[in-house]
Amino acid sequence: MTMTPTALSPTMTAAGHAIEVRPNPANEAAKLARARRKRNGAVAYHTAGVAIVLFFLAPFAIAFLASFRSGAEGMTPPLPPWPTTGFSLDSYRSLDTFGAGVWQHTLNSLIVSLATVVLTVAISLLAGYGFSRYRFPLKNTLFVLIIATLMIPFQSILTPLFIILAKLGLNNSLFGLVLVYVTLQLPFSVFMMRNAFDAVPKEIEEAARIDGARDLKLLVRVLLPLVLPGAATVAIFAFLNAWNEFLAALVLLSSNDNYTMPVLMMAVRAGRLGAINWGAVQAGVVVMTIPCLIIFLLLQRYYMRGLMAGAVK
Amino acid sequence: MSLAQDARLPAWPGGAIAGPDGEDGAATGGVRLSGVRKSFGSLDIIHGIDLSIPEGAFTVFVGPSGCGKSTLLRMIAGLEEVSDGLIAIKGRDVTDLDPSDRGIAMVFQSYALYPHMSVRDNLAFGLKMANTPKAEIERRVAAASAILKTDHLLDRRPGQLSGGQRQRVAIGRAIVRKPDVFLFDEPLSNLDAELRVSMRIEIARLHRELGNTMIYVTHDQTEAMTLADMIVVLREGRIEQVGSPREIYENPANSFVAGFIGSPRMNLLKAKRVGPESLKLADATLAAPFQTASGDREEDITFGIRPEHLTVGQEIVDGRSLTATIDFSEYLGGTQYLYCQLADRQTVTVEYRSPGAVKPGDRIVLSWSPDAIRLFDAAGLRIRQDM
Repeated sequence: MTMTPTALSPTMTAAGHAIEVRPNPANEAAKLARARRKRNGAVAYHTAGVAIVLFFLAPFAIAFLASFRSGAEGMTPPLPPWPTTGFSLDSYRSLDTFGAGVWQHTLNSLIVSLATVVLTVAISLLAGYGFSRYRFPLKNTLFVLIIATLMIPFQSILTPLFIILAKLGLNNSLFGLVLVYVTLQLPFSVFMMRNAFDAVPKEIEEAARIDGARDLKLLVRVLLPLVLPGAATVAIFAFLNAWNEFLAALVLLSSNDNYTMPVLMMAVRAGRLGAINWGAVQAGVVVMTIPCLIIFLLLQRYYMRGLMAGAVK
Repeated sequence: MSLAQDARLPAWPGGAIAGPDGEDGAATGGVRLSGVRKSFGSLDIIHGIDLSIPEGAFTVFVGPSGCGKSTLLRMIAGLEEVSDGLIAIKGRDVTDLDPSDRGIAMVFQSYALYPHMSVRDNLAFGLKMANTPKAEIERRVAAASAILKTDHLLDRRPGQLSGGQRQRVAIGRAIVRKPDVFLFDEPLSNLDAELRVSMRIEIARLHRELGNTMIYVTHDQTEAMTLADMIVVLREGRIEQVGSPREIYENPANSFVAGFIGSPRMNLLKAKRVGPESLKLADATLAAPFQTASGDREEDITFGIRPEHLTVGQEIVDGRSLTATIDFSEYLGGTQYLYCQLADRQTVTVEYRSPGAVKPGDRIVLSWSPDAIRLFDAAGLRIRQDM
């Protein structure tokens, strides 16, 4: 932005006469110094910005480039992490030889993650609405109880979970895994959605009730668009956590065909007879990253607003 | 205006305004509350309200904050449950009906527009919920936005509108529903002073055009006085007085109403009745404006007189004047308010219209005509002349 140099422009006096202000040498020097300081500041600001961006992009770039190394190259540790003997898709081909094929495992992961997202959003939407708007006995106790489960380390309940799922006949099933993920995801999600509903003015809901919107119609037609940022945040968290979750998937799934991506990646990384196919590992990393990036980029607009909700008000 | 005719449903049997059959006839057409109570837990907010609002009347609930006027309105709307009592609209018991089935529409202080919908959708939402045919929705939305001159805003979102425009849309949303009763909950409080005046006029015009029953809640007595056919003054969940603005102003039922309505407020001075026809105020003995039967014994009373009924002069009229010292004055151009002190340090506000300058410290004589005085007993109730 360029500013009009004030020293050269006519200044209006109180009486309305324009008087010419002559350039003053001392003034000029100060102005130059100020401009220089401003430029230096801008350079430092942008250099730091670029450096930080590089820092964050480097892992993605490394994995992406390394996944295109040719077969023989892929068997050696990724140093330097880019293809030196030409681009090839060997790594992706060899990734497909693990387990039941990369498509099957990606599909498993997608089913589990999307089902987790849908269930989590649906349940936390209703629960958040209930906690925000209705008065019922023990409301706050129940809410604290739900939040308190965040303090229980998930690993500590793995055994009981396994037993329960086995009793229900849900071990080694993707649906059972979805139920576990939804359970783990709910405390945070309910908390998030309650805040989102709290931020919606009561009058809007009352106006809708006068307009004849009731129950589910009211929730879907009027309130959902208003809590969409919160719902998007919940969806992102649910997706990422379900997509990346490893331990529960490893323990609860027992057949090769049902493995999700993180479990497959474990198998890939463990290698065969100690020989690690670095190319396949990097290819797996890329395959795993892409859905996360897509989801995040799709929802980030709402996500930021969701985290900010209630911050100012 | 075609909408004005449409907005009225076929006349309810006996629904004439204040028909020959008196109060009951009036009540069947409009809104009737009987024994309406509201309590939150053990806390009583509304202590049994009985009120008949005639059809087509512009009724204003007014009172200090916390008097329960908004709660009462929300109970009529169905947004707040009624702990006890009955609410009837157009002769139909609506006490336990859903808000949308009561034949009401409400305009909120915060507008409460749906922020994710265009103005058009905001207006149409209620009709869509009622499964009104598309063509009919379009017709009514067009009619409402023509009345409120919001045609050019139909495709905008509420976020892109100014406060006044938002309020118009909120009113439009009420109009399209063609309600029997319009409810306004402090609709102008969020607007700036200038806009408030123009919207006030607009609401008055709307009432004239549509002719519906309207109930309007405000704490602003200017709005109450200018808009109302009927004012209901509330305090602490009870009705203090019901009447036309003129009745309320000129004939307050008690000292609370007298002090609440009117700006600057009525001077309420502590006095003592010393005989059937005389009372003592500050250092003067004054003539009571009328005889009262119970006037024999001495008792504390309140002597009320409005600032505009006090005349400033120099001459002491026996029994009808007081001397006062000016504390300070406010110059408002056409008039001045003098804040004075009586001999016993009670303060009196005087409206002074003559151009003559006065300065603090001046001693003046205040006099009045006997029919300007309002007397209240120790409990605050009006002492009227009893035969």
